[in-house]
Amino acid sequence: MGEGAIVGKRTQRRRRLTRRAFLQSAGAATAAAAAGSVLAAFAGGTPAAAAAVPKPRAGARIRLLQWNSFVRAADNELRRQAKEFGDANGLVVEIETVSGDQLQPRTVAAVAAGDGPDIIQMQYGWPHLYTSSTVNVDNEVAYLMQRLGKVHPVNEAYCKVGGHWRAIPYTQVPNAWSYRTDLFQKAGVTSFPKTWDELIVAGKKVADATGKPIAQTVGHAYGDSLTMWNPVLWGFGGQEVDKDGKTVVINSSETEAALRWAIRAQQNGIKWFPEWLDPDNNQAYHADRISATLNGPSIYIREVIEFKHFDQVTNNAPMPSGPKGSFTLNLIMNHAVMSWSKEQETAKAFLLSLMEKGNYSKWLKAARGYNHGPFEGLYDDPVWHYDLKLRAYRNVVIDSQGRPIGEWPGWPAAPSKQTSQSQTQFVVADMFAKAVATGDTKAAMNDAEAKLKAIFGAP
Amino acid sequence: MSTATQPAPAERAAFRRPRIRFFGQEAPLGYLLLAPTLCMLLAFLAYPFVVGLWLSVTDSEVGAIGRFVGLGNYRHEFLHDRVFLSSISNTFVYTAATTVFKLVLGLVMAVLLNQAFPLQRFVRAALLLPFIVPTVLSTLAWRWMFDPTFSVINWVLARSGLAAHGVNWLGTPQTAMASLIIVNVWRGAPFYGISFLAGLQVIPIELYEAARVDGGTRWQQFLRITLPMLRPVLLVVLLLSTILTFADFQLPFVLTNGAPYSSSHLLATWAYAQAIQGGAMGIGAAISLVLFPVLSIVIAGVLIALQRQD
Repeated sequence: MGEGAIVGKRTQRRRRLTRRAFLQSAGAATAAAAAGSVLAAFAGGTPAAAAAVPKPRAGARIRLLQWNSFVRAADNELRRQAKEFGDANGLVVEIETVSGDQLQPRTVAAVAAGDGPDIIQMQYGWPHLYTSSTVNVDNEVAYLMQRLGKVHPVNEAYCKVGGHWRAIPYTQVPNAWSYRTDLFQKAGVTSFPKTWDELIVAGKKVADATGKPIAQTVGHAYGDSLTMWNPVLWGFGGQEVDKDGKTVVINSSETEAALRWAIRAQQNGIKWFPEWLDPDNNQAYHADRISATLNGPSIYIREVIEFKHFDQVTNNAPMPSGPKGSFTLNLIMNHAVMSWSKEQETAKAFLLSLMEKGNYSKWLKAARGYNHGPFEGLYDDPVWHYDLKLRAYRNVVIDSQGRPIGEWPGWPAAPSKQTSQSQTQFVVADMFAKAVATGDTKAAMNDAEAKLKAIFGAP
Repeated sequence: MSTATQPAPAERAAFRRPRIRFFGQEAPLGYLLLAPTLCMLLAFLAYPFVVGLWLSVTDSEVGAIGRFVGLGNYRHEFLHDRVFLSSISNTFVYTAATTVFKLVLGLVMAVLLNQAFPLQRFVRAALLLPFIVPTVLSTLAWRWMFDPTFSVINWVLARSGLAAHGVNWLGTPQTAMASLIIVNVWRGAPFYGISFLAGLQVIPIELYEAARVDGGTRWQQFLRITLPMLRPVLLVVLLLSTILTFADFQLPFVLTNGAPYSSSHLLATWAYAQAIQGGAMGIGAAISLVLFPVLSIVIAGVLIALQRQD
């Protein structure tokens, strides 16, 4: 038996003990939760709570890799908390941030090499792609659920693989519409459209009156393309695959209705740009070239704290509805502790400290509403009461009754390797792009169907 | 220490002889000197190639070596993957078009730079700039110039009255491919130009003088002296450029990343989408290797042509 196997058995034994101890002392853990923060428990609070949560090792050095937030203050707050955690426990936490499109190549390199950062931010369905390189965090998520309540179902769908948590829920970047109230009013449109059909009517009026169209990417933008075109497809009743996650059902009259809507919108002055990447609609908005676009909160937040050109005349609105209802897709981020980490307990402890309500609230405040919490107990954060214009972003994560909402690429099928591949190959966005470029909805659907069958039937 | 333990001078000489003989022989010394390069080639070229070959016949995913599936990945790509099929034709169009343009422009550039004119050195250095600037940076600049909202080129076209609305550079499959070709030619032509210039400068001037004495025109001099004398450089440059263009990744990835609707993918960007973004390492490796036989034929052809020249 190799050393690795012995270590593995020891780790398994320790995990089994920890889980058992956790279950035996659930009540005591609740008491510890009321008593103070996770950090206090680490520092020797109640023995029962200390048994339920991982302990950081003094002298350890861990590294976390994640994307650069569009709100720099959020990354600064994360670094501050990392230093605070390190100082309190006599260890070092390094935070490395890279641009969003660089995160996946870096992750793949680490996974292929079996070495790299101790913690990696998992975007969308990555826990399903890199499952064997992540460690089981059932114990830690159970601990957080004790303290913070249920996990948002979209985060859960991404984090849970085969019934086990492979990542700790971290955040959602909500996607809603940012629009120029002055331009809309000039065109006689007093509020943001509630349905996709109303959007076409408003789009024509605004484009005709101001020359500044409503615009969005229909290209290979890894965030905006997904958050725009999947909800449009669902809104008209279209789906990529059936709930079984195997049967391709994209070729349907519902999908065709969605494609026809996109073509009609373009004919009425709404601009779909096949060459736009994620930053392009932000730039066009800040440069006064467009009147509205779908995006994360960064357009509004940067107007307020940085550019201050259109902050007073920018408002935000949730997704319009289609005949089958209103659907939303947000950018989902979670944290995985990687299997090669020699400091897995420290890494888990650090992630728990980030999710501790007080720390998380400070981070949300720094992000000024760019992020939304993934646990029930984090939904009603004060950040959503500072600026009512930001409420639109909260309303695409939870509804007016406080119930979680949202879908994921491939919905209603559960996230899988295949749905992730369909997402990274932009099958849905390409279908819309082809339809609006050629006007041939049948060809666009056939093309998407062939691609999906290739993905779901790959060896 | 007793003298009995010391070897006699004759013995010492005999002891040394094999070493001298080893360095004196050409073949062993040659192998010895080749060994470091060979080791590097094995480690950084042969090993990744063999691993790539192996991956292409497995259903490997990122972080997990898969089972042997024979030619299943190749079969799947050729029979079911439409983007793969279009990326093969795109790669051929891209390589052929850019090579022709770079060849012609490079030759013109080299002939012009071979003339004496003021600031000759400065102009030669300046023309190399596109080749020196990191590809990602220059491609980002081009992306901005092709941007539908901020395009400088379209602004000039519209202001000068040459076009009412400018060109939808990256928005249609045809213009996106044309944009890729334009940027590749802009970046690659200086390499051709400077290589050809080096070839031009070693052509003996006496050949041109003799041609002039015999009444040869400039065009005849170019056809009968310049081109034949440039042939070895031309073949080597063509070979290198063809290989590099077939495998081009940075430029198409940054400029279009396959858009619009995956119509501008080249094999390299599609392999990346499958292997790195989609996690399907086996399929990605198969896509990368599919042109290996074609490239092998091209390389063999050029090497044979070079040998005939010798």
